[in-house]
Amino acid sequence: MIKIVSPRVGVPGEVFVPEEGVNIEALIAGGFVVDTSAKKSAKTTTDEPKD
Amino acid sequence: MATSTYLSNPALTINAVNLSDQCTSAVITQVNTAQNASTFGSTDSFYVSGTTNNTFECELFMSYAVSETYATLAALVGTQTTITISPTAAGLATPSATAPKFTLTNCYLESLPLINATLGELSSISLSFQGGTLTTAVS
Repeated sequence: MIKIVSPRVGVPGEVFVPEEGVNIEALIAGGFVVDTSAKKSAKTTTDEPKD
Repeated sequence: MATSTYLSNPALTINAVNLSDQCTSAVITQVNTAQNASTFGSTDSFYVSGTTNNTFECELFMSYAVSETYATLAALVGTQTTITISPTAAGLATPSATAPKFTLTNCYLESLPLINATLGELSSISLSFQGGTLTTAVS
């Protein structure tokens, strides 16, 4: 889900619904919107022997 | 004297970003490339429409601040994007017959002046978008 950050794009916090042809990557790179569905990095687990 | 005139004050977005407050000049032009269809038997020239080659040109004040001109354009060079423009700010949100909204979809930005500085002057840049599909909304 893409959410608006900058008021230049719309109301901050609302879901961004792009028109056809809009370059989403450029908007994210410029900090105008954020992709809230972007995957978080997996947690690293260590294989420690159990007592 | 003209009975109806329009004091230039359009509103526009570039890649969905409203840059009206940075823009000092904007020209969107519908171009249908002329193809010569003249034939023997006539001394006149006749043309038919070939492909379209619409253009959008604008002049913007340059700003490197957050959510301003440079942030909008930096990642658009060499890519296609969408431009919207209307004679009025209201027309951009709610187009009408007297305030149409023109949309140029998938137009190409070939170049971006990174710095255009002159001593004692506000920095501004000129942009030219080429191609794309032009649509007009009146409602």
